[in-house]
Amino acid sequence: MCILALAILWLCMGALATAQVRQIGKAQNAIGALVVIRADGVQERLQGGGSLPLYEGDVLKTDIACRALIEIGDGAQIALNELTTLKLLVRWEKNKAITPILRVSRGEVWVKTTNGSRSIEAETPVANVAARESEFDLKVNEDGQTALTVIEGVAEFGTPFDTCSVVAANATSSVRGKPCKKLPASEGTTTIAWTNPLLANPTLK
Amino acid sequence: MSAGFSLLRVWLFVVVWMAHAGCAQLDSLFKKTDVEVAKPRIYVANESSSTISVLDAKTFRLVGTIDTKNHSTHDLALTRDGTRLFATNLASGRLSVIDTNLLETVASIYIGNRCHVVALSNDNRQAWIANIGEDTISIMDTATYRVLGTIPLGKGPTSIAFSQDGRFAFVSTQGKTVQVIDTATHQVVRTIPVGADPHFLVLSPDGRIWGTNAGGDDIFIIDPVTHEKVITMDVGPQPQQIAFGYKGMQGPNAYVTVSGLGKVVVINAEAKTLRVIDQIEVGKGPNGIWSNPEGTRLYVGQQPTNLLRVIDTGTNQIITTVSVGSKPVRVIGAR
Repeated sequence: MCILALAILWLCMGALATAQVRQIGKAQNAIGALVVIRADGVQERLQGGGSLPLYEGDVLKTDIACRALIEIGDGAQIALNELTTLKLLVRWEKNKAITPILRVSRGEVWVKTTNGSRSIEAETPVANVAARESEFDLKVNEDGQTALTVIEGVAEFGTPFDTCSVVAANATSSVRGKPCKKLPASEGTTTIAWTNPLLANPTLK
Repeated sequence: MSAGFSLLRVWLFVVVWMAHAGCAQLDSLFKKTDVEVAKPRIYVANESSSTISVLDAKTFRLVGTIDTKNHSTHDLALTRDGTRLFATNLASGRLSVIDTNLLETVASIYIGNRCHVVALSNDNRQAWIANIGEDTISIMDTATYRVLGTIPLGKGPTSIAFSQDGRFAFVSTQGKTVQVIDTATHQVVRTIPVGADPHFLVLSPDGRIWGTNAGGDDIFIIDPVTHEKVITMDVGPQPQQIAFGYKGMQGPNAYVTVSGLGKVVVINAEAKTLRVIDQIEVGKGPNGIWSNPEGTRLYVGQQPTNLLRVIDTGTNQIITTVSVGSKPVRVIGAR
């Protein structure tokens, strides 16, 4: 009896230990291939439709002519354009829901959060975007220069020097060492036209 | 005559009563102030146990141990009001935020690969964190915990200290240099060769930046205006960290933990020509050191023995020893 109890305890402890890596989403679709590099260096690929689990600490990469669609948190959709690299992170705060964070080192992502979903953040080498119930597109150059276009809702664009509230149909940018700078208003649908094949046909190969 | 005397008595009574009431008010004011500053604490980062030991700075008693909810807790930074403590965690790459009233970790933020040290900007609105595994400094908003950007640097940033006016951040690197960053532009404006394996940097009371070459035998001083290394001084093998204090009227003195000697080396920091004025035996492997704001007590973490030594700077004697967590690497308290 005692041995059985110990065995159950051991199994439970094993389950707790394996639960330390938190699944925070899944990759749903890729045109070309999405490369997922796990925290231990192991790589997995998604080509076409599927449901590849994504964990905290995963690095996601798309090569030239590759795009991907993922879902994180409680339904937020994220599309990665070609030549994009991002890391999936979370921030834990006591008495608050986990905040999912996309650390984008280069490339372009489109983010759409669902109604009532928790806020989502994106970090770049020069700025931070925090949004809830909104849709935005974020471009990050090799040197870190960042441009944000808000398509729907509002997003907070924070730099080490200031924070700008950006509303729908507006855009802003930042470079290292400078505060945010308003960009000319752009046509959101044109900006995110690259996401159409991903969203229209989730089983593309 | 009698009526006049009575009037005088009443007047005197009123004066005495008012004086008493005034003193009582002052008394309560001071008592209130006493309450507000009644808990000076010392925080010790224990790298191997991934905890922070909390001590009463006056009684030297352990008042709590905080789980950082991360791995390899290494460096600490305390807000000026003492309410928030930030701790880097090397193995997790995360920063723990601790509520010092609750003695509890209330947030955990991913910063970067092997995030090593943390320093708060002079206004405490930003935490600058050195990521030794990514060759970057991350900048985090201390109110929202959002990472707002990074600054790429040379090889392996190991320590950060801000100038007195906050215009510059000095960052030591494994490239044997200290890099000077303009905090208004985030550009490196100067690279100063300082010697083998520079590690710890600290702002001295006169505004100079002191540093240790942990891989060598020396400490160095950087002029805050010219951004040049102006002094180098041998102190013994593996100097680690520096604090400033006073011995009676003498001072400020610099107290350097010299790991290879098992001593705290005392340097007359006031003089133009530095000289060693004393050496305090503390035992093998001293590392973290902190001075109370008055400069009369030193708290020294002794890494191999998991002990915290408390030294009276008036006598340069160890007055007590406290057991803390495993591998105490950093000690801080109120400024």
